[in-house]
Amino acid sequence: MTMVTEKDINEQIAWAKINTDVLKSMENPRPAYWVTLAVCIAMVACAALAEYIQYTVGMGPSNLNNPHMWDMYIAAFVFWIGMSHSGTLLSAILHLIHADWRKPIYRFAEAMTTFSLMTAGLFPIIHLGRVWNMYWVLPYVSDRGIWPNFRSPLVWDAFAISTYLSASMLFLFVGMIPDLAICRDNTTGWRKKLYTILSLGWIGSDQQWRNFRKIYLLMACFLIPLAVSVHSIVSADFAMSIMPGWHITTFPPYFVAGALYSGCAAIITLFVLLRYFFRFEEYMTLPLMEKTAKLTFAIAMVWTYLNLIEFASVWYGHDIYNKELLIAKATGPYAWIFWTMLFCGSVLPFALAFRKLRRHMPTMFVVSLFLNLGMFFERWMIVAPTLSMSHEPHQWDIMYGSIVEWAIVFGSFGWFGMLFLIFVKVFPSVSMYEVKEMVFHRKQSLGEEDLARMTDHAKPVTQTTGREGT
Amino acid sequence: MSKKRMMGLFGDFEEAHDAIADIRRNEVPGLTVDDVTMTSPIEHPEVEEVLGDRPVHLQKFTLFGAVFGVVFGFIFLAAAQASFLVQPQGGKPVIALPSNIVLIYEMLIFFAVWLTFFAFIFLSGLLKKRSTLYSEKVSLDQVAIIVEVDENVGESVKGLFQKHKVLEIREEAIR
Amino acid sequence: MSLDNILNHWSDYRKGAEEGGHHDYEHRWAMAINLDLCIGCNACSTACYAENNLPVVGKEKFEKGQAMHWMRIERYWDQQELEHPEQGASFLPMMCQQCGAATCEPVCPVAATYHTPDGLNAQVYNRCIGSRYCSNNCPFRVRYFNFYSYYESSWPEPMEQQLNPDISVRDKGVMEKCTFCVQRIRTVKDKAFMEDRPVQDGEVITACAQACPTSAIVFGDTMDEGSMVNKLWKKHQVERGIYQKTQHAKKNADLRGYRIFEELNVDPSVMYLERVREDV
Repeated sequence: MTMVTEKDINEQIAWAKINTDVLKSMENPRPAYWVTLAVCIAMVACAALAEYIQYTVGMGPSNLNNPHMWDMYIAAFVFWIGMSHSGTLLSAILHLIHADWRKPIYRFAEAMTTFSLMTAGLFPIIHLGRVWNMYWVLPYVSDRGIWPNFRSPLVWDAFAISTYLSASMLFLFVGMIPDLAICRDNTTGWRKKLYTILSLGWIGSDQQWRNFRKIYLLMACFLIPLAVSVHSIVSADFAMSIMPGWHITTFPPYFVAGALYSGCAAIITLFVLLRYFFRFEEYMTLPLMEKTAKLTFAIAMVWTYLNLIEFASVWYGHDIYNKELLIAKATGPYAWIFWTMLFCGSVLPFALAFRKLRRHMPTMFVVSLFLNLGMFFERWMIVAPTLSMSHEPHQWDIMYGSIVEWAIVFGSFGWFGMLFLIFVKVFPSVSMYEVKEMVFHRKQSLGEEDLARMTDHAKPVTQTTGREGT
Repeated sequence: MSKKRMMGLFGDFEEAHDAIADIRRNEVPGLTVDDVTMTSPIEHPEVEEVLGDRPVHLQKFTLFGAVFGVVFGFIFLAAAQASFLVQPQGGKPVIALPSNIVLIYEMLIFFAVWLTFFAFIFLSGLLKKRSTLYSEKVSLDQVAIIVEVDENVGESVKGLFQKHKVLEIREEAIR
Repeated sequence: MSLDNILNHWSDYRKGAEEGGHHDYEHRWAMAINLDLCIGCNACSTACYAENNLPVVGKEKFEKGQAMHWMRIERYWDQQELEHPEQGASFLPMMCQQCGAATCEPVCPVAATYHTPDGLNAQVYNRCIGSRYCSNNCPFRVRYFNFYSYYESSWPEPMEQQLNPDISVRDKGVMEKCTFCVQRIRTVKDKAFMEDRPVQDGEVITACAQACPTSAIVFGDTMDEGSMVNKLWKKHQVERGIYQKTQHAKKNADLRGYRIFEELNVDPSVMYLERVREDV
């Protein structure tokens, strides 16, 4: 007797309904949307004011000092880059392993990637002392014959992030072309003009589909090593230094695992929000949430393992500076952040192991927010305690960020929110053509199964229930 | 002989597939599969069985882009590092291969992706002028077959379409 | 940027760590600081402030840790076993160690810090964009960042008259650190060049060495065989490229010379002579 498995998506759904549902989500928004957008813009305005203060007065108002030369900005930078790995994971990695359950949810994840990168890219600029000279990091032919220092991980950052941002944007755009054609065919006015330009004349011919399939696969193949390398390079900002707590070989995989983790948690958050506000229950179904939650749990365990490895290698090693630092992290002034991070990152994911909790949307929303809080604390725990307690005891210090720093970090959330809110109203946040593909293929495989069963058994199909008509 | 373009809209992929199979078997004289284009709302790689093998050249551009990225990347970085000689610091080499490898890797991906993108736009015929034979139903759920035929073959083409339960037929003359 | 330049000088620049990356060092400036003589009076620190146009940041910013003292006196109370432990303060004058294999140099994104043929770690203020990675990577934490435009308030009329014209006043967003009074080195070298003679020992003296009442700080050129600093380095058997600490501890209590954080292999140019302790 086979178990009745709940379906990831209803195969009998009419394609016209898919079009209508998603296009409806882009219609004129309700007041709640405008309020949220206004809040996001207000946060950005606060950040802009704080940055103006920093630009004119100097970096002093951010409470940075000797030894704390990096603080919240770099932590936020790593956090946002980390969050950007969600889209790559869902779009590219799951595409390569033919996990078609990603199809209804990868579009907004990929958008999240692009906007996370656009947010993260602001921080290496904001944290500079002389922001107006930031283009010196880029290699260009100058009449003085000077170039950036290619040995510096910050220059690697510049290369990596610009490559990742442009590749992600291209991937998002290319993946959207058939959807933009659908939008073009079903809208009027300024939207029709916009989609006509953006869909580049897509008609869905077999030549176009053939090339499309190829480019999608190729870009997915490139995006995966790119994402891994980008976050490894960001981890090299720390790993290439000699500071205790930073000079750790496992930083690249640790950062990538943390990135996938926070990305998945953010996907769960947006999943719950989009499903609720746009009534996407048909597409962002409970089995899909379960799969996403299970994936997050698996990554959480990987992250926990890498954390334990780091603690173990420091504890049993001979590097006194590192060991003292680890003890200080766990018992010193920052201990409350350390233990919150461990709780949110390693204990809380076990909520994802319970089927009942996985299917309860409000719980998932709250859990995912705390998971991301844990990850933000983790980024901060990487940056600040090392600077607080490095080699030279005279310079040991305790430091917390000032209101200027907090304003800019909060503003970055507002900036991300603003970009995402604009995205969901201008572009389809569920990939219509991919959902149609998913429905088509599942219907086909269902038909084949029925056919196989009918040829295998003499009796008509009555034992298994729940197949026809849900 | 003047040519015209005909489009038949089908309710689902199966019927369109069978129609093209008929064309492949030369059931309509003067019309071969090479004149057939199929437009659909989703990708159907299985149509290649009946439509014939139409190769995709995209990956060659990707390879070229990747190789270019590596070669250009190395030459550019080495030249920059070699000319900026005031820079060498205590004990570090002038052209640092470990750092360069990281940067060349990024440039490989950068050029491969961008070149693939531009090649895609070119090879898939995206920015070409669209013919008026386009139905919005294709972006919804119908599959269209577009054939380019001589005027006199039009009727047999219509007959073939109707045999496979076509929903709508449109024509346009090619000037 | 010419091909000629590259071809002619390639071998000069492609050198290993022992030779510090340069073919012919003209000088190798170094210091020897006798911690037994240091009384923690801060005269060196004050002289450095005067010589290098360092801004006085005020009590509030100092407490926040945003001070600009290129030379700082660190105080450690490390003799808890004494009857009055507060009397067991050790003073450590700490400034940029001008490391031969500096950790700050490779991480600057715009190459604002590099190694000079004199063996100094140079900071180019004009090139610095303020990413502050160099300071994070310095194990001694001797790099200071201009968090504000101090020149606007640190030298009110007529105090700007005291500024040293040989050296710039830094704007906000720029990293700075001890330069071994490179402006004095430059002046002396120029004079010696014009008079067609080598630089003599004792001609170049840094502000801190000049101000020290107990002559605890000795500055000179280790490539000059007869210089005081070279004699001190040789006497206490401290050598570049070789990790001395453990060897000393085993051999001879008279060999008091050591360099800080030698296990990090950054090759500092400052040798400290350990304080003679009562229990030794």
